[in-house]
Amino acid sequence: MKTKTGTIRRIILLAGLCAGYISSAYAQQDSSTVAPAEIPNKAQGGGTKFLLAGKAQASWSQIATQLQGAPNTSSHTFFPDAFMLMPLVKVNNRLFLDAQVEVDVNPMGGGAAINLNEMIVYYRSTPWLSVFGGNFSPKYGLYMGVMDDFTNRYCTDPIGMNRGPQTQTGIGIQGGIQAGYSKFNYQLYLSNGPQLVVDSSTHGNANATGSLNYGNYTDNNNNKAIGGSIGFLPLSNSNLQLDVSGQVAGKTGSLNSPYENISSYSLAADINYYHLFNPVMVRVQAEYNYTKTHQFNYPWFSDSTKSTLLVPGFNNQLSGWYAGITVRPSGIDNEIIRNLELGARVGTYTPPGYIGATSNTPAPWGENAEQQTTVCLTYWFTWKTPLNIAYDQLKMTNGPTITTYTARLIYFF
Amino acid sequence: MKNKSRNRIISLTVIMGITSIFVVMINGCKVPESIANKSGAQLWGENCIRCHNSPDPKTYSDDQWDAAAEHMRQKAILTDVEITKIKAFLKLAN
Repeated sequence: MKTKTGTIRRIILLAGLCAGYISSAYAQQDSSTVAPAEIPNKAQGGGTKFLLAGKAQASWSQIATQLQGAPNTSSHTFFPDAFMLMPLVKVNNRLFLDAQVEVDVNPMGGGAAINLNEMIVYYRSTPWLSVFGGNFSPKYGLYMGVMDDFTNRYCTDPIGMNRGPQTQTGIGIQGGIQAGYSKFNYQLYLSNGPQLVVDSSTHGNANATGSLNYGNYTDNNNNKAIGGSIGFLPLSNSNLQLDVSGQVAGKTGSLNSPYENISSYSLAADINYYHLFNPVMVRVQAEYNYTKTHQFNYPWFSDSTKSTLLVPGFNNQLSGWYAGITVRPSGIDNEIIRNLELGARVGTYTPPGYIGATSNTPAPWGENAEQQTTVCLTYWFTWKTPLNIAYDQLKMTNGPTITTYTARLIYFF
Repeated sequence: MKNKSRNRIISLTVIMGITSIFVVMINGCKVPESIANKSGAQLWGENCIRCHNSPDPKTYSDDQWDAAAEHMRQKAILTDVEITKIKAFLKLAN
């Protein structure tokens, strides 16, 4: 079974690579498909083109927490959200280097951590095929890696969207293809994959055993995850994009551990649509994702005597979705009004739950099912400098209701 | 048994997707004139706005647009024709 799974994955990757090379070799070349020659740069000398982009982000939040049987609490604070640098280096017409380094502050106690979000080398071998390698954000869903920056018109993160495949180390291929009036894009990759969290020392709800960690740069076993996405833009004006994406990891546990062979797979589907109903621009975005990790009965030690306490079996699967709509009167003459954008979004997150228990039972690591409602007004100072003012309500099943008012400014340079 | 079925479904979906791409690439190379004749300005207005707002050409210099366009080619997985025309438009309008 393990051999068959590995063989299937190798066949799939080989088929994908062959499809890319064979089709590019036999593709028709006519004037309608040949890209126009690049206009020479006005600047003289130097083949390498460099851009240091980045952002600075800060916010103010007021948070009110309501929990039945407990006094309501409220607090407000300014917060230096993040500072990010993104060096982009075009070495020549085929080779491109892309990186992203972010300074994330510690919400409690001060201090900061420098995180390498991405470090990727791209080599464009054909117009339809780029080969890439490094630490990359796979195309998984719509939010992560695409709509999670100044492009997030709802200010807060949608719940359940940061739990699937995240930044990983590996290699892959991707490209965009015109197909008549429609377009496709694809991505296929091999990566180190997620690493199973196994905690044998923490007792109670803080134990994250069974969850997946994507943060390590090195692999914890000799198995590699395979993933990919297919995007379809059916309309000739490219205003509608439909994507399906996923990842399969045959082994997530550490090498030679009892948990090595625990597998996991993730699937996501999303839609991104915009249309100008003059003078109002309307956007609709939605995403659903699902992750299932192989079921296992994990033991952990409750105290220093090493007395073993079996964790009740739980369905290690989680899912989340969100749907949002924004309107912006971009066709109005008044500069202030046309730079305003109003958005509304709803979503839910369903964590793993104990087998045989009611739906109200939280996951072993203490998460509750959540429902989110968000309303956000954005003012665009420039095309990439938004000021968001948002109302966000998070309701947790058998848990508190958290209401947050946020004002956030992102300066993207 | 469940794992076997699940793996088969996933594998089949991926194979079908790759096959579809292969078929499209072979048969879809002839681009309609109305698509092939789209200007850089039109492609800029249609594609960039799908995720963020259409970028102001004055944001970067020509050399910087070279680097930024490569980033967007890979981030948005645009076609080669699209990104080449968009980049040319941004430089001319700069």
